[in-house]
Order: sequence, then C-alpha cells, then structure tokens
Amino acid sequence: MAEISINGSKRTNFGKGASRRDRVAGLVPAVIYGHNAEPQHVSLPARELGVALKTSNVLLNVSFDGKSELVLPKSVSKNPLSGIFEHVDLLVVRKGEKVTVEVPVHTEGAYDKDGILEHVNNTIEIEAEATSIPAFLVLDLEGMIAGTSKVAGDVVLPAGTTLVSDPAMVVVHLSERSSAAEPVAEAAPAAATDAAAEAPKAE
Amino acid sequence: MLIPRKVKHRKQHHPKRAGMSKGGTVVSFGDFGIQALEPAYVTNRQIEAARIAMTRHIKRGGKVWINIYPDRPLTKKPAETRMGSGKGSPEWWIANVKPGRVMFEISGVAEDIATEAMTRAMHKLPMKCRVVKREEF
Repeated sequence: MAEISINGSKRTNFGKGASRRDRVAGLVPAVIYGHNAEPQHVSLPARELGVALKTSNVLLNVSFDGKSELVLPKSVSKNPLSGIFEHVDLLVVRKGEKVTVEVPVHTEGAYDKDGILEHVNNTIEIEAEATSIPAFLVLDLEGMIAGTSKVAGDVVLPAGTTLVSDPAMVVVHLSERSSAAEPVAEAAPAAATDAAAEAPKAE
Repeated sequence: MLIPRKVKHRKQHHPKRAGMSKGGTVVSFGDFGIQALEPAYVTNRQIEAARIAMTRHIKRGGKVWINIYPDRPLTKKPAETRMGSGKGSPEWWIANVKPGRVMFEISGVAEDIATEAMTRAMHKLPMKCRVVKREEF
C-alpha cells in the first residue's frame, strides 16, 4: 500500500477548548507515539485525513515542525452523528517493521441463497510488514451451504503476512432461513418469571 | 415483550438523558441499522412494536437484531392522588437511548426491503432516527 503524505502542524494549545477551535478551523487534533519516544501532539487537516482514512490501516507520512514520521492510525474517534473526526491516535512505524493490525474481510462468490449471511467478525488480526499491509482480505463463499461457517483459517492471506487471530474464529456464518412467517428477534435473554412480580402492570 | 428477569431495586431514579452514546454507534451484526438521532426513553412496548413492524415486512427471510434492552423501571403515581405517600408504582420498563446508538439491525434482505422495513419500525419509536449501513473499508 502506498503511503499518503499529510502536512500537519505542531500543537501547543491543549484541552477541549483548543481542540474545539482546531476542529472549527478544519483541523483534527492527533497524537503521534511509539518506539519509546515522547508523544508528539499535532493538528492535521481534516479533509485530507478523511480521504486518507477511507482506506483501513493506511500508511501516513506526517510532516510537521520540520520533520516527518511514518505512522499508522491506531485509534480514530468520530462523532457518531456528524461523522466529524474528533481525535486520531497515530502509531510510529519503521519501514520493514512487522506490525499486528486488524484488516477488514470482504466476501465474494455465490453462496446458498436460502441462507442469511451473518458477519460474525468483520475484521481479522494479521501480522504484516508496515509498508505492505493489505487494504482488505478476501473470503471466498463459493458453494457455501446454509448452516455452515467460514473461519479465519479459510481467509487467503497474501505472501509475507501471518494470521494472528485464532484460525478457528468464525468470520461469517450462513444461517438457515426460518420457515416461520415471523422469526423471533435475537435479544438478551428475557423471561418473565421472577419479573412477573416486579414487572409494572400493562396499561 | 422484553422484561428483566429480576432487578436489584424495584424503583430507580430517572436515568440521565444528556450526552451522546458512548458505544454501539456502528452496525456490528447485520447489514443495515436504525440509529437514534435524539435522546429518548424507549419502552419495551415500542421495541416490540418496532420488531413486529420489521419482521412482518420482511416476511420469511432476513434476521433482526435488537441492540437495546429495557432494563430501567419508570414509576407513576395514580391519577387524582395527592402528593406524598412515597414513590409511585413501577409502570414502564425503558431503555435509555442516547443519540448515535444503533438500536436495531437487519440482514439477509435487499436494501430497498430493509429500508422500508426500518422506516416502518422508526414510526413506532419515540425519537428521530435514520437508517445506516454497515461500514465497509
């Protein structure tokens, strides 16, 4: 994966007030840390960062204060309603270094249409070289029949990467379609045994 | 309807409604979800009504997840009662939903059917909502 260059600026004012002013100005507060170095606080342009972060585990080359760091996004805080980036944690990496990252799994291939595809785990953990992390992994569902699952071990990994997640971890499950007209939704176990006495009366 | 099996205290204070949802803000299990845009107390009756609206629309097929649980009791004093004499009796079970929370999820159906089913469910809920998709990178 090619690295994306972003020009940032060193952050000197901290706290929620300064961070809010940064966000209003179209900047995202971020912290760069790793390799036992002191954390460095920076502001990054929100638009460029947003475009870059559309790719998972994107390698960023952040330039600030006359130097540059090769980083991977470690944690991204977003406002759940507006989608505005609130803060980004960036982890320093070196070229050739092996890192453990979570990579999204995409599915392809025709499967039994009588089943309902459930994504039990959307990502799996792999170890890869920092400069060649795959954007996504592909899981082939060709010929999968209802009632069966595909596990992390079934995902084809590119050369140079190793699986960190449990190979028996279920990634997708093709559940059988219920024949009942009105299937009961999944929810936390709830029965009205003791609760009958506690439960408020119906209106 | 969803009711806790047993509770430690029969009567509780009203839960706080301020702030945004701290978690559960993305579609995790299904392909589409209903996201709350406002804070609200959602009763177990409303949850059940929304579930029925969705499952009846998608007929045979699809799977529905409910990500909220009505674990808080709300009390009410009877009508035409003088003040005092203690707290009223439990009347409703509610889930304290804050903005951003994905309350229901659905999978196994086409997008147009899922959207229509969720729109019907949203009419049963006490706050503004929107349909969200699972984030794919």
